[in-house]
Amino acid sequence: MLAIVLSSVAGGIAYFMPAAQLALDSTGQVIQVPTPSPTDLLTSPSPSSAPSAQPITGAFTVLLLGSDDDSKFQGDHVLTQSMILVRVVPSQQKVTMLSIPRDLYVHLSTGGYGKIDGAYSYGGAGAAIATVEQDFQVHIDDYIWIGLLGLIKLIDAIGGIDVVTSHPVMDDYYPSDVYSRDPYDYERVAVLAGPQHLDGINAMQYVRSRHGDFQSDFGRSQRQQEVLTAIRVKAKEVSPEDLPALSAALKGELKTSIGLSRVAQMLPLAASLDDPNAIRQLFLLPPYTHGGAPGGSLIADWGAILPLVHTYFP
Amino acid sequence: MVFSGTLTYIALGSRTSKVALPPAKPTEASPRAQAPSLPGTLYLSQEGAIYSLSAGRFHQLTSESGWTQPSISPNGDIVAVKRSAYYSDLYVLNPFGTVKRRITNNSQPRNSDTGLYHWVFYPRVSADGRTIWLAYDKPKFAYDVVLSIWSMPYSGSLSQGRLWGNAADYTGGDVQPVPVRGGVLYTKYDYASRYSANLESRLVGMLFITNGSSPGRQLTNPAEDCRDPAISPDGTKVAMICTYMKQISYLTIASWNGSKLGVRQTILSNQIVAQPTWAPDGSGIAYLAPGAGQSGPFQLWWLPSAAYAPPPAPVPTPTPGGPYNGTLPSPSPPPVVVIKPIQVTTNNGFDATSPLAWGS
Repeated sequence: MLAIVLSSVAGGIAYFMPAAQLALDSTGQVIQVPTPSPTDLLTSPSPSSAPSAQPITGAFTVLLLGSDDDSKFQGDHVLTQSMILVRVVPSQQKVTMLSIPRDLYVHLSTGGYGKIDGAYSYGGAGAAIATVEQDFQVHIDDYIWIGLLGLIKLIDAIGGIDVVTSHPVMDDYYPSDVYSRDPYDYERVAVLAGPQHLDGINAMQYVRSRHGDFQSDFGRSQRQQEVLTAIRVKAKEVSPEDLPALSAALKGELKTSIGLSRVAQMLPLAASLDDPNAIRQLFLLPPYTHGGAPGGSLIADWGAILPLVHTYFP
Repeated sequence: MVFSGTLTYIALGSRTSKVALPPAKPTEASPRAQAPSLPGTLYLSQEGAIYSLSAGRFHQLTSESGWTQPSISPNGDIVAVKRSAYYSDLYVLNPFGTVKRRITNNSQPRNSDTGLYHWVFYPRVSADGRTIWLAYDKPKFAYDVVLSIWSMPYSGSLSQGRLWGNAADYTGGDVQPVPVRGGVLYTKYDYASRYSANLESRLVGMLFITNGSSPGRQLTNPAEDCRDPAISPDGTKVAMICTYMKQISYLTIASWNGSKLGVRQTILSNQIVAQPTWAPDGSGIAYLAPGAGQSGPFQLWWLPSAAYAPPPAPVPTPTPGGPYNGTLPSPSPPPVVVIKPIQVTTNNGFDATSPLAWGS
């Protein structure tokens, strides 16, 4: 009997091993500077059994980071072109997403001033988190960093997403740097408008292109939030047993401080957030920001920004 | 031990969701047994191939090589887009999918300047078969690539084409032309705040109409955020998809007098819906949407006309026993019959940016 139990546990370990490995790999890279809360995967006993799906009840804040990580960049020295602060309040079934302009001129946690998208390149996720915490006066519980290929693989691994593409993307000079040998090559892309199913490549084109957008980075932030919302909708159909395949697909393309068991806890939470009106989307358009800072960066009106942030990220 | 360990592994694997299963080819999976046989022949696109659906069976008309957005010409030919990596062109196919001729030629020798290429989308042939309408990315300027509405002789070339309207810069432009008497109905993308100071500066779709002699006239409110117009066979209604600047869509029908839209009727709400298309005999509307209770690749759905047509006026029941001059009892309203849409396919993945074409 004991042998059967042990062998069954071994089967479970084998099944969840890819997910555990990914979590260990990615969380093992966490952070050089003061950190978010430690990963519960590293402290949890073993991934041998199916992850617990106890629902999350407390509010939490996650910093989502997205980077161009093609061969133009070396190692982890990448800019975070996408920075979105997400606050989830399970008890109220509310989600707030705040897009932080990548060109915002801020005091960096590693010292000095610069565009906020450079914080990660100077000190990894820890520096990015510390910079946002210090400038926006918020507490961040966790982070997720994803690269170009990671986003493509993630969306393909969940079978694509359904998006109402509000902004037709017509870009004659879209960077062709994900699968091309030349990281400076470019291509034409056309993502037509309207409700549609996007695979990873098309979703990436939709969130990354900014040439054809009158609002440039702000318009791109809106599209990024649309895709995030669609990923959340699709996550409702993902089961904990999908995690090994997902983690295998994402190996090396995603870094996070969130442990495997917490991911499993988040799945039912994603399923319960059903009301599209319960998702609040915030963008730091003028008058919250305006041009004129060094190097084409944006000046923040902290007097306006901080009350907004404190309202939704207490 | 080996057996129980393997069994555990397999059991866990069998509990995975089916989210990442690729869609089946329409010809491999027939419509659901209980699905109605739709009238005429419906043309759809999936994975770069055009399929027809007639008498309950799908037929693959083209190879999977970039074919999309089929449209029917008055003589029964199919006009479709063939999309390549950097450009697209229009072709005329016979009803069995054989290429008869190429209408546009946007191909170029391989050029390092990708800005020299052109897209053409959304072909639509006029009722008299003499004119073809399309969305073409000319004029364009560097990063400002927008589609504009063009018309050209059906048997001519784009050099004989005429530009209709003025697409707004950096918006994606004007798309989805539908020829109407004396002009064209189309979808314009523009920033809502340019039309209403109370609205956010977000890009929205609006139905417009133009007769070519004046700037397009707005038919829908920017806050409605509408697209995908389709005129009913009797010419009295327009079906469209409105999203109200959210990540959901509403199938909406509006009355239509040839120049203005009237009262809106929401037929489907709070889901993702695309490409409503009227049956030529007026028996209903086909559209694309994810399968019931799922997100995921788009399936073919059918909405019988009873779901949106007004019910017939109730006729008072004659009082037994002969003429009666008093007040007749108020007829009780007929029971409300809720007609639900019918999901025709279950595991396909139709291109939701490709309008459906429906031949009688």
